[in-house]
Amino acid sequence: MSENKILFNTGSLDGLSEEIGKLINTEDSRLKLTPDNADSGLAKLVLTLVELIRKLVEKQAMRRVDGGSLTDDEIERLGETLMKLEMKMEELKKHFNLTDRDLNINLGPLGDLM
Amino acid sequence: MEKMIYAIVSVTRDTEKLNAFLSGIKGIAGADLYAVCFNEISAVVSDKERATLIADKSSAIEYAEVIELMAAHFTLLPMRFGSVMESSDLISKMLERNYIEIQNNIQKVENKCEFGLKVFCDAEKLHEELRRKSEETANATPRASLEIRNSVYVDYVNKKLKEHKLEELLLNYVDSVIAGISGYVDRLQAVNKFKKMTTALNIIDAVFLLEKDKKDALIHAVGELQNQHASLSFILTGPWPPYNFVDFIVK
Repeated sequence: MSENKILFNTGSLDGLSEEIGKLINTEDSRLKLTPDNADSGLAKLVLTLVELIRKLVEKQAMRRVDGGSLTDDEIERLGETLMKLEMKMEELKKHFNLTDRDLNINLGPLGDLM
Repeated sequence: MEKMIYAIVSVTRDTEKLNAFLSGIKGIAGADLYAVCFNEISAVVSDKERATLIADKSSAIEYAEVIELMAAHFTLLPMRFGSVMESSDLISKMLERNYIEIQNNIQKVENKCEFGLKVFCDAEKLHEELRRKSEETANATPRASLEIRNSVYVDYVNKKLKEHKLEELLLNYVDSVIAGISGYVDRLQAVNKFKKMTTALNIIDAVFLLEKDKKDALIHAVGELQNQHASLSFILTGPWPPYNFVDFIVK
């Protein structure tokens, strides 16, 4: 660009460039489906959706716990269910060799899924 | 030959000025630029086969430079990188079909430019501060921490509840900073768009569209915001062509 575009900055530009690098470097978080990786690509897509739904369920559950509308037994059962869901999810990620970062698909201009 | 469109320009009285200007600059890979007109709007294009267009950093910079040079002299709507049509005739018909939307958008950005504001936090410090607040709230609220019985499942719910509250506090905090920024930029009659939490450190990513002569007032406003939020880093950039304020879908 022809002129200095930074009009105001009090911090370090190194930090800025590192963070912008994170915003631009979305290659790893894109879903790549090719004939060679159809199995793992599909697993990534399915597990991403399962993880998204699991997190939404967890969030809604916490709202209900926080709201005080659940009995002690219900909280106990809820904790057991959420914990088992999380453990099962960890198992599946390990099985398909995926990390949390892999399950956060980049949606382009909309940002990251989670 | 296919044509790549860089921008749509308003040239009410300046058709000759536009042609003279385009003859002095080059497009991607040194391509000649020319205008395809419909009434007082023109698409600035260069010959480019879709198959040979490579979306890499140097092409993106060359494309942005063309738009930026033109934006200094004309009111324009930047087109998305890689907008290619089959012929000048089709481009002219596209301008005709979208004439009203293009005119409305040109009117919206006339004599204005875009500025970007990124707000960064020290994640560790901010999370620690919010965690402390969260714990204070938890101690003051009977239901905030569950002590119904000693159970691994209840402990798990407790842990998740704390994380949930911390996340809520963080979002409330970001909302309060956005409200502060909006207060300042609204006084400058800026149009604004905000994104929250683009990364763990970049808590706010905002763009403003405002009149060119209000640049100094915006810098001053950001300086005041920085003074109010010493734990955050504000970075203001611009002026940019109105990349984020073109709101129409080509028919």
